[in-house]
Amino acid sequence: MDPIQEHITRTRRNFLATTANGLGLLAVSDLFNQEGLLANESLVNPLAPKKPHFAPKAKNCIFIFMAGAPSQIDLFDPKPKLNELNGKALPKEMLKDVRFAFIKKETVKLMGSKRVFTKHGQCGMEFSDLLPHLGTVADDICLIRSMHTEAFNHHPGQLMMNTGVARFGLPSVGSWLNYGLGSESRNLPGYVVLHAGRGSSGGASNWSSGFLPSTYAGVLFRTKGDAVLNLSNPQGISPHMQRHSLDLMSKLNARRFEQIRDPEINSRIASYELAYRMQSAAPELMDLKNESKATLEEYGVHRTEGVTGRGGGSGVMADYSRNCLLARRLVERGVRFVNLMHASWDHHSNLDRELASNAKMCDQPIAALINDLKRRGLFEETLVVWAGEFGRTPLGENRGGNPKTTGRDHHPYGFSIWMAGGGVKGGQVIGATDEVGWHATEDRVHVNDFHATLLHLFGFNHLKLTHRFNGRDFRLTDVAGEVNPRILA
Amino acid sequence: MKTLAVSTLFLLVAPAQSQESAPIDFARQVRPLFQKHCYKCHSSKEQKGGFRIDAHRFIEFGGSSGKPIYVAGKSPESRLFKFISGADPEKVMPPKGDRLTAAEIALVKAWLDHGAVWPAEADGELAKDPRFDHWAFHLGAQPKPPATMHKGWSRKPIDPFILARLEKEGVKPSPEADRFTLLRRLSLDITGLLPSPEEVDAFANDKSSDAYSKVVDRLLRSPHFGERWGRHWLDLARYADSDGYEKDRPRPNAWRWRDWVIKAFNDDLPFDQFTIQQLAGDLLPNATIENRVATGFHRNTLTNREGGIDPEEDRVKQTVDRTNTTGTVWLGLTIGCAQCHSHKYDPISRREYYRFYSFFNSLSQTDIPAPTPAQQAEYDRAKKAYETKRAEIAAKVTPLIKKYEMEKLAAAQASWEKKMANKIVDWRVLEEATKTSTTSGVKIKFMKDGSYLLTGASPDRDTYTITIDTELAGITGFRIEALTDKTLPKKGPGRSGNGNFVLSNLSVTVQPMPDKIRKEREGLKNPAAAAEDETEQELDLADEELETGNSPARKVKLQNASADFSQRNFQVEKALSSSDKEGWAIAGQMGKPHTAVFETAEDIGFKKGTRLTFKLVCNYGGQHTLGRFRISAISAPRPVRYGKAKLPPNIANLLKVLDAKRTDAQKAELAKYYRSIDSGLNKIRRPLSAHEKIAPKASGTKAQALAESGYRQTRIHIRGDFLNKGAKVDRGTFGVLHKRLEKKEGMPNRLDLARWLVDAKNPITPRVAANRIWQHLFGVGFVKTTDDFGLRGERPTHPQLLDWLAHEYLNLKWSRKEMIRLIVHSAAYRQQSRTRPELLERDPNNRLLARQNRFRLEAETVRDVSLAASGLLAPRVGGPSIRPPMPGDIAKLGYANSVRWAESKGEDRYRRGLYIFFQRTVPYPMLIAFDSPDSNVTCTRRERSNTPIQALTLLNDIAFFECARGLANRIVKDGPKEKVERIRYAFKASISREPTKEELQDFTSWFEFAEKEYAKDTAAAVKLSGQPKLPVEEQVQLAALTVASRVLLNLDQFITRE
Repeated sequence: MDPIQEHITRTRRNFLATTANGLGLLAVSDLFNQEGLLANESLVNPLAPKKPHFAPKAKNCIFIFMAGAPSQIDLFDPKPKLNELNGKALPKEMLKDVRFAFIKKETVKLMGSKRVFTKHGQCGMEFSDLLPHLGTVADDICLIRSMHTEAFNHHPGQLMMNTGVARFGLPSVGSWLNYGLGSESRNLPGYVVLHAGRGSSGGASNWSSGFLPSTYAGVLFRTKGDAVLNLSNPQGISPHMQRHSLDLMSKLNARRFEQIRDPEINSRIASYELAYRMQSAAPELMDLKNESKATLEEYGVHRTEGVTGRGGGSGVMADYSRNCLLARRLVERGVRFVNLMHASWDHHSNLDRELASNAKMCDQPIAALINDLKRRGLFEETLVVWAGEFGRTPLGENRGGNPKTTGRDHHPYGFSIWMAGGGVKGGQVIGATDEVGWHATEDRVHVNDFHATLLHLFGFNHLKLTHRFNGRDFRLTDVAGEVNPRILA
Repeated sequence: MKTLAVSTLFLLVAPAQSQESAPIDFARQVRPLFQKHCYKCHSSKEQKGGFRIDAHRFIEFGGSSGKPIYVAGKSPESRLFKFISGADPEKVMPPKGDRLTAAEIALVKAWLDHGAVWPAEADGELAKDPRFDHWAFHLGAQPKPPATMHKGWSRKPIDPFILARLEKEGVKPSPEADRFTLLRRLSLDITGLLPSPEEVDAFANDKSSDAYSKVVDRLLRSPHFGERWGRHWLDLARYADSDGYEKDRPRPNAWRWRDWVIKAFNDDLPFDQFTIQQLAGDLLPNATIENRVATGFHRNTLTNREGGIDPEEDRVKQTVDRTNTTGTVWLGLTIGCAQCHSHKYDPISRREYYRFYSFFNSLSQTDIPAPTPAQQAEYDRAKKAYETKRAEIAAKVTPLIKKYEMEKLAAAQASWEKKMANKIVDWRVLEEATKTSTTSGVKIKFMKDGSYLLTGASPDRDTYTITIDTELAGITGFRIEALTDKTLPKKGPGRSGNGNFVLSNLSVTVQPMPDKIRKEREGLKNPAAAAEDETEQELDLADEELETGNSPARKVKLQNASADFSQRNFQVEKALSSSDKEGWAIAGQMGKPHTAVFETAEDIGFKKGTRLTFKLVCNYGGQHTLGRFRISAISAPRPVRYGKAKLPPNIANLLKVLDAKRTDAQKAELAKYYRSIDSGLNKIRRPLSAHEKIAPKASGTKAQALAESGYRQTRIHIRGDFLNKGAKVDRGTFGVLHKRLEKKEGMPNRLDLARWLVDAKNPITPRVAANRIWQHLFGVGFVKTTDDFGLRGERPTHPQLLDWLAHEYLNLKWSRKEMIRLIVHSAAYRQQSRTRPELLERDPNNRLLARQNRFRLEAETVRDVSLAASGLLAPRVGGPSIRPPMPGDIAKLGYANSVRWAESKGEDRYRRGLYIFFQRTVPYPMLIAFDSPDSNVTCTRRERSNTPIQALTLLNDIAFFECARGLANRIVKDGPKEKVERIRYAFKASISREPTKEELQDFTSWFEFAEKEYAKDTAAAVKLSGQPKLPVEEQVQLAALTVASRVLLNLDQFITRE
């Protein structure tokens, strides 16, 4: 199915039945009535809600992306054997045909983890001591320890995890979902990106709509200034004047439509009205004054500590907490896809110190988010994903032959991510890596498999959600991917 | 010669003609064997391993392994023979069923050994492959415009084609658009700017019969034509101002190629020349700077500089991108699909793909000095003025010099000679380094003679950092000896295969010797603590994310490099430039030690000991790194030159010869040298040397260019994996297209390829190119899938017209301006764009062209028309890219705060959208909001979305608000005084037409409302006008005009081409 095409062909819709129903303003809709515009059925709204291939489990997605590649060995995947072999060389045959970003193969040694792992929840899922809060929701989490990917440099890896292909120019997961499902939100974009700390390797390409129209691109909500770029009117233009200006625009546009009958004019009117509604909806969204003190505390919105090392400096902990809370508020308002970006997990050195700091930043608010979604009855229909672009080596990084290792290098052969909510079976661990955490060995899940499963939760056959570009039908899962049934509830 | 042999070996299509006398009859004897044993799995029904053997043309396609199935004349090397004979028990063919008998195997062997003669014409029906018959692969003669019933409508031969189709459908074309619409349409299509209100009036009132043509002429002559149409080309070229990927470093020279494109369009450089120069300008005989600048087309591919990247992987990715982009842009084919396997839909084999790829597989990238023609003219002018002035000064100084020479020089020289006689200071080899490191990670071994030897794997590039603590002070020069060693290739001194190296850069920093080292040397050491400290620091520095920070080290200024020998174009002074591609090298004198000497600009060293850090950069690539070297220092008086001491060796030797014994020639040599250093003479010359210091410098403008770097053998990449190499292939093109690219001598190169692309027999390129011009003038091409003319692409809506235009393009000698002139003069082009409700059902997308199309402007043009309407537009053409205001947090989205966005000042804020610096990972938000391509891959047609983010941008973005205010100011300054007239003027300035009566009514009453509002709220009025010093009434007027302008600049029709 090519949803745009399909939509255009079956687009005989009533003007007000689409997102334009927010046109709201009486004057404008009166005008349309007068001019008989309502009778025009050829309006094409690319974000009108659409039905997927089969009944979905999930409606919305909060995709927590930890750019830089977090160390699964120190967070999610305990390896006692690795600790035993700490300082030993890895068997030569395992290093054969293996590429590293920085490690010097000749002198590399296995590096155990200093972390203490404990069991959590009824399921007994093991997390490291850096994630105490997450432990409290272990029974909701489906932890995948057998992820693998091909890309082992950051930007290609990030593109792989966010767009399914380690190449520029393809739509991200959020774009595909909005393309396939449209948006339920009347006043906000269907795809929102929240960012904390410094920029990631991929920059805006991680939430790009690729070859899809920019309608499906992620819209960055900012932590400072206007929530959305250009949301505020220029100085000297009151909301009152803005409303009147829009009325005149709509009127003139409608007059032009009368003459030239191009349905695109109606889309333009609708998009201006949505913009107008965003002007009040976005600030309302960002304003946390109606959240209870308990909620704010649970998320840690008023935390004052900074994040150590390159994690982003002062204020990032509070920013991250706020973003987690905003993610819930966005989902509440019908936003289809929320991306929580944080970019500082590339621990080639000082791993123990910086990973602890990053984990502290995200552990409490993410657990709070899951609990909050559950309390509000949103958890069942909201898929939460936690992932980086790949994992980190069980080997200590010895760049330049340096014998003192305090970090780990890039590792695509086995790493961990987790999913929760929205049709996912919680309280279970999928797959495993070998004794030293080198290869994913059991129930291997490739990034394309993960995406296929994600689309399945949203009611899509990943093979059929396609878009024709450059002579080929593209899909999120490139030319591979299989749904992993064990993940499904 | 060697390559020729290889190419014959793999030329499977044309079996050796010399073997005509072969006794084996293929059709009678060999084919039946294939039929019997192979067809089951390898013919039209099934192609196991992606391979077909039933007709000769499929042999060329090979199988999935990418290896040739046989080698004509050589059965032992032929896999066909190995398979059927069972040479490899793992791979026996056929795997099931009856094997070939010994006699049959012998027959095939004989056939192979006799040249594998396979008369392709005998394949007949078997070779039938409907894919080859696809319309795009064949172009007949230029079609004649069809007869139409209605005679009066057509204006150009284009029109009957369209009318005939409409008549067949029983549809009438639309009436011609009104003059306002036509003028705005032409202006937007040709220059991407708006007509001025005066031009609107003039055209509306021009009753002459050629009024329309005059407008077209004017627009085609405008320098803004090149900007508008150049931008279309930039989409195809994936032009950007940064590298892409994580580091996304700026490309400060990218604009130079962009300007070449603009000029090429303005000069109407024919499309064939345009093609040849961009793909192979460097290979043209007597290539000019502009020819080489043109090759920047393929410099626009992304570069990944992320730490830990495999450079070969990135190079292959770039080559693949160049190959695929060429296929899309010129052939309209998705050849990239054949990178992993033969194309699924089009008859393009993977072998052919890599043959095509091979043209781009030997490229090197350089940034060449490329003054723009204007800069060159300016330099020539300044140079002339400088020379004149110099002659004036010389006229004054020369007599004084003469006088000094007569009276004082001889005595001064004699006294200098005396002083120098007993003063020769020798080089001192520096002590063992405290610390050494290499970027590649290979080991540096310290040798007994004080030299350093590189061991281990030989990297492509490397940088050695040598930290030496020394007691030396007062250093005036350093010496680098490149030494031979038996462990090095051809004894070295370099590590490349032939023993050469390129020292691309030498830099030295100096700082006081660290206390702990000094104490160590003084015997008070605490090595354990010191080591701990060092390691910690080392690790942090090694981290890809951290640059070396605030080191107290100071850079030593090096000058006057000299050497015993330098390769041509690799003079030793180039080791002081920062370019990786320049440096000191010694080709022609490998296997021998060489010496380079660098003078310091000031005396170096601290009394309490000195730490010197030498950085020897060998980044030329191709393992051109230094294999063994030794570093020495000297404290002799300057000048310090190669020659073991401060003097050039010849002079040093001459000084040893007693004056009386010197020959006249020797005397003259010594005198000449002395003249160059005599202080008295220098003092007299000072006015001259002062002037020489301000000699005009050639412009520093550079351009990204490509060049050949020696043939690199291409191998098929199995499944597209660059590490998984298959068979070797030579350069070639696609068999399905026009005649094979041939070259009598040597290997065909990019120039041959470029010429092949624009060959008159090429069935596809003229159509792809003509289709694109049409697309820009009608919003959509005849073939909507502009990126795919292959079997999966859409078929043309007007195939005959497309073919006619393709031929016409050639008839017009590839002139783009003439093609545009032709099309815009057609009746089809001049139609109204009003949607016809009666046709919505039958032709919802207007593919019949019963009207013009109406479409939103591209991102850059949205900006341009806003600037043009406001009067703020700075119309300057070309130059470095600009950075309009952008909120700081947007730039921060780039990796680790590495993106710097220094806002442009002055008129640069108001220049056209195509000049906006395109930072790939953080594109300017307005451009992306309006669907500008992300510049990562070629883009043949843009999306046209319609989003609330666009609305917010036009309403509130500072740049667009300034335009609204600008239009208000323009109305006050240039427009009429009366209110209604002002509104008319504003309409004409923005949507280039008179308002209708209703519009005028609506607008006027609204405007009066705005005036009242701002009269009530003068504080708001001041904020809007931005001119607090004006009288209140004028503030209110300006405020009302600003909000009114803002409405106009947000109208659908303002950002739409109708």
